[in-house]
Amino acid sequence: MGGPTCRDSVVEVHDLDPQEFLEQVHSFEFWFHSVEGYLAGTQYGHRAASREQPLSDSERDRLVTALCNYCVGETAALEGASGLIAIAPNRLAKVFLSTQVVDEGRHLEVLLRRLADLGVRDPEAEVERRASASIREFKRRLLQLVGSKDWEAALFAQNVILEAMEFTVFQTHARSADPVTAEVLAGIVKDERRHIGFGENELGRRLRESPHRRARLGEVKRDLDPLVLETFEKTVREIGIPASERPDLGRAYLAAVARLGFA
Amino acid sequence: MTGDPLERDGDAPTDEGRPRQRYLLDDGGFDEVPPKYRRFYRHWKGPGDELGPNEVLCPVCKVVIRATRELRAGDRLYCMACMTRLRVRVGETGRIEADCEY
Repeated sequence: MGGPTCRDSVVEVHDLDPQEFLEQVHSFEFWFHSVEGYLAGTQYGHRAASREQPLSDSERDRLVTALCNYCVGETAALEGASGLIAIAPNRLAKVFLSTQVVDEGRHLEVLLRRLADLGVRDPEAEVERRASASIREFKRRLLQLVGSKDWEAALFAQNVILEAMEFTVFQTHARSADPVTAEVLAGIVKDERRHIGFGENELGRRLRESPHRRARLGEVKRDLDPLVLETFEKTVREIGIPASERPDLGRAYLAAVARLGFA
Repeated sequence: MTGDPLERDGDAPTDEGRPRQRYLLDDGGFDEVPPKYRRFYRHWKGPGDELGPNEVLCPVCKVVIRATRELRAGDRLYCMACMTRLRVRVGETGRIEADCEY
């Protein structure tokens, strides 16, 4: 796990050689010391001392529906990331994806636990009952891309489309949620930073080397982003965020695809 | 906070011939990277958050990246929170910005 912390051992992080930087940030060693910073001492994604805030029946009902949709997104990412390991083009991508699988499994676990804490007797059955048709369809198509070994398309769907929108929605939801849900979501957002960064950087490198792949990703974008956008726009409305405070859900995602050159 | 300048040149205009200001970085509580790297990053507080001459906003994950030296166009930076390599440039408004370098 490495030795004791020593700030003097790093003179200037930005002076690292680019390959050394990639080796470090795609390692389990880096992942472990990163998540330890915000997960140590938590239980199911929040501090044990965090107090439950009383919710009205309608607030609780809307929260349960939102969490059910989040569970489908996280299950899609869990199954997608684990399938992508087999077709990842190099060791660094395989190792990173293995850390992402752990993150996604944790997300699913803490969200299901949150549903149980909210009084849902059978959380997995509730997810089946409440999750939107559009997020289920997104999951089905993502796993099709993974199954067809379409590395760029599957990575784009999962780590750019899905993760960018989850990143924005979870951040927004955390600002207005009850304290326990807010802590759970804030912890997930910290993991999502790595996932969106991996997706954009890996695709950026691939597109630089093979610009012809751009057209294929354009097709995936047209096909899949409306499904995720529909789900999360509905979620943001349902969790009661005033219109003036609603984020432009597409903005983070559109900025990412613009940087990749096919907005 | 942007850190404590170790070396200042008063109000002298920035130019390549002038030595860069150096900064001591404190650990601002950014807990998303290993402890030895934490002082190089901090959370962004939103549009009103004024960045120092040694800071730039990561365009991918919106974390503030910090350096021990004043930033200038052409500098390379790393965002360890989202694993992105960046290149510093002067934006249209004259502010220091960064582009992804894949």
